[in-house]
Parts: sequence; C-alpha cells; structure tokens
Amino acid sequence: MGDNLPPALLTTSLVNTIQIGSLYALMALGITLTFSVMKLPNFAHAEYATAGAYAALIVSLSGVLNPLVIMIAAFVVGALSALISHLAVFKPLERRDVSFYTLILASFAVGLIIRYILFTMADYFNLFDLRIAIPLRVLFREGTLILSNLFAWVVPTSLVLVFILTLLLNRSPLGREMRALANNVNLARVIGIPVERVKNYTWLLVGGLAGVAGALWGLQTAVHPLMGWGAIISVFAAAILGGLSSFSGTILGAYVVAFSENTVILFLNVNYGVDLAYKPAIPFIIIIVVLLFRPQGLTKLIRRAGDLGR
Amino acid sequence: MITIRELTAGYGKLEILQDLSLSFAERQFSAVLGPNGSGKSTLMKAIMNLNTVFGGSIHLRERELIGVPTEAISRLGIAYVPQRENIFDELTVLENLQLGARILPKHDRPTALKELQEIFPILGRRGAQQAVTLSGGEHQMLAIAIAWLSKPSIMLLDEPSAGLAPAIAIDVFRVLGELREQGMTLIVVEQNARRVLQYCDYAFVLREGMLVFQGTAEECLRDEETIKSYLGVH
Repeated sequence: MGDNLPPALLTTSLVNTIQIGSLYALMALGITLTFSVMKLPNFAHAEYATAGAYAALIVSLSGVLNPLVIMIAAFVVGALSALISHLAVFKPLERRDVSFYTLILASFAVGLIIRYILFTMADYFNLFDLRIAIPLRVLFREGTLILSNLFAWVVPTSLVLVFILTLLLNRSPLGREMRALANNVNLARVIGIPVERVKNYTWLLVGGLAGVAGALWGLQTAVHPLMGWGAIISVFAAAILGGLSSFSGTILGAYVVAFSENTVILFLNVNYGVDLAYKPAIPFIIIIVVLLFRPQGLTKLIRRAGDLGR
Repeated sequence: MITIRELTAGYGKLEILQDLSLSFAERQFSAVLGPNGSGKSTLMKAIMNLNTVFGGSIHLRERELIGVPTEAISRLGIAYVPQRENIFDELTVLENLQLGARILPKHDRPTALKELQEIFPILGRRGAQQAVTLSGGEHQMLAIAIAWLSKPSIMLLDEPSAGLAPAIAIDVFRVLGELREQGMTLIVVEQNARRVLQYCDYAFVLREGMLVFQGTAEECLRDEETIKSYLGVH
C-alpha cells in the first residue's frame, strides 16, 4: 500500500500506530482483566484513565515535573477510582445478584458520575485543555516525522507495564489466583482463595494501569474530562478482538485498531478519497465485524499460556 | 464430627432437604446414597455454604458452620470436591496443585507437593500440562489432589466416580481408602451404591430430602429392601 501513500505520511502514521496502540493496549488489558475476573464489561474504565490524566496534570501544574512521580500519582488516582467504584456500586449490585445487563448499565452510570465530577472540578479550577507540563524536546526530526521525548516515554512505559502485567499474571501467586477466579470462581471459594481480596487487588491494578495510560495520553494531547470517553470504543474494539479473554489477543487487537485508525484510514483517504472524518467509525466497524464473524476474537489464532480462559 | 440438626436447605426458594438430622463420625468413610434429586448434593453444598439454608444447624465439632463464608470453611479443615467444574481447567496441573496448597504455611508446601507424588503418582508427570487436556481419571485425581493439598481433616466428595470407566472408578476409591487409612474423615455422595458400600464404613440413604436409612455398610448391603426400594439397585 506504500506505493500510493507518501513514505513520510506512512512513517508518521506507523509511529502513531505504535504510540496509540500501546496506550490502547494498556487500557484494553484492563478491560479484558475486569471482564475475565469480574465478569463485567466495564464502560467506566475510560474514566479511570481520565482521572489518572487529571492527577498527572495537577501534579505537574504544582511544579513537580519528575515523570515517575507524575505516573505514580496517575496510577494511585486511577486505582482508587476503580476500587471505589467497585466497593460503592459493583460489589453491592453483585451481592443482590442483579443481571449482567444491569451491571453494564451501572458501569455506564459510574462512568457518567466520574466524568461529571471531573467536569465540575475542571470547571471550578479552570483545568480544560491543558497539557501535562513536562517540557517537550525533539529527539528526532526527519521531514514531517518528529519524535519527541514523549514518544520515548509513552511507548517504552506502555510496553514495560504490559510486560510486568503479563509476568504478574503468569508467574506470581496473585496472578495465579486472578486466573483461578477468571476460570472458576466457585471452586476458588471452595479452596479458600479470598475472592473479595483478589477482586480488590484486580480493581486496583486495572484502575492504576488505566490511570497511567491516561497520564501518558495527556502527555501528547490536551487533558479534558471527555478524553477517556473518546477512546472507549477503540479500547473496547481492541478487547473484543482479544475475545475479552486473551491477553495476547488484546495486545494485538490494540495495535490492529490503532493501525486501522491511523494508517488504513490515511490509505483510504489518499487512494479513494474517504474522508478522514470517518475515523471514529473504524472501531465500530471492527466491533461489528468481529462480533458477526469471529466473536471469540483472535484467541484461537494465537492461543498461549497466560490467557485468561473462557 | 459434623452434626446436622433439623436442616432445611435448597436453592433460591426451593426447599430440597426437609428437617434433616444426622451426624458424620470422625475418621470414618461415610457414604450418602439416594436416587437423583434426593438432596445428596444439596447436603454437601449446605455444609460448604454454597446454597440457601432455611433452618436448622450444621456443627463442626462445637462450631456452627451456617453463615461462615465458603472461603473460611476450607480453613477450618473441610475440603470439598464438587461433582463438576472441580478443577481449574485453563490452568496447568502444577498451578492447580499450587492453588490447592495455598492455605498451608509456606514451608509446608514443598513437602505436601512431594507427598502428593506418592498418593497420586499419575499427576507428577503432568505438571506442565493444561488441566483441560487430562483424561477423565486424571481429572478426577487432580480434583481430589487439590482438596487433599489443603491437608483437611474432613473431605466431602460429590460423586467422585461419576462418568468414569469402572476400572478407573476403582482406582479413585482405592485412593479414598488410602486417605481414610491416613485418618481423614470422608463423606462421599454416590449414586453407585454397591460400589461405594464396598469401601465405606457407614451409609446414609436419603429420599426426597429425608433420611430413610442409616447403618454400617454391611447392614446396608444386607438390607435388600433398602437397596431395592431406595437405591434402585437390583
């Protein structure tokens, strides 16, 4: 396809694919983990990312510019938002044995509540469309392609976190217990796994990762109360490509979605005059096509140890 | 050891066990027999707090078990092997065993895993394999091994030989016999009455949620009437 796409544009779009894909992966892995362990497709997940981005923004505005401190703040705030939404809403609802659909609706409601808390806060302190104040430095420039220190932050951080998460799930006792819960929660109870505690840790982990994803996002675009929500469909598309159960499938799915949104749309635009405004339709198309023709996602194609089962 | 008094239990609003009273003796292999729907599994689940108890009491020695969360019951020394979905089939055999041993103190786990090789030699060679790939007999042995690794004093088993070829079912009962020799209290729900009666010490027969017979295995085998009318075995 490169024949018709100017090389500079192609390279830029591929760089974007890697950058955005890595962020999608961080968020989508959280969705896959929540779905596997908690049996909940959590639409509030995007809001943990936004909360993390705001935490990062506020820390950076307060004058702390150490990226590590900023990321830790984002992790903590994302993790706490997730844990609180579990303890205040999802757990009491599960106790009442409500249906799966009620839980999905509740997750939309939780998302809405967090989003508008952030709106109110942003409005009060005038925190709209600001950037996390880490100074921008150009590391590499070649024609239209510019690689900044942000790229050097976003991609390795995402990849390292994905790697740590995979290691944690496959090699640690906690990860083993999470996979046991994902596989058979009744048996987990019977053999004495403290199910509620493992769930709490899972929420902290997925919320924290989303928070870091939000902060990394906020490094490259402006922070806004709607930023997480704007990405949720793409992130869900990635998780659905992973069959909502496979880690490797979700990671691959994240890059497939990012590739479609950055490179494929550009290719269609240059060759067939498809308007770039159709970009938001891409994840919807991916979701519909996957659910119609391959609802198990990419799982069976790349089945590996460490997948979360069912 | 486990004393049940006037227990009424079931699922949701459905009462299956009606005013059931019985007690399982320590270090005995007890069988709970009865036709389908007689409440055998309901009784196991009630002990483990996995269904609805409407009334009565379940005591482990002096301690009331009703209301104790399932997770905590295993820490009191009761292990339960459900009839279905009794292993983590997406995990490896070794991971299943590690999860079984997780409630032991850390320094006891390696010894327990080593001892396991002697009782369940078949599992030793399967560590890295995904549990879903095990054969029927291996699957059942793994399920029992997971329960055994928590070093319980009482093990409840729901139809441990269901769906197994006769020769393999005998292997399963032989392992249960060994566990009893080690001093474990066994409570086994079975449909195949004749087979379990060869191994157990004592039998309870349930019908429509009520106790209709109890006695030693010999008494039960001798009582043709019970066997014919309640167990449907000729």
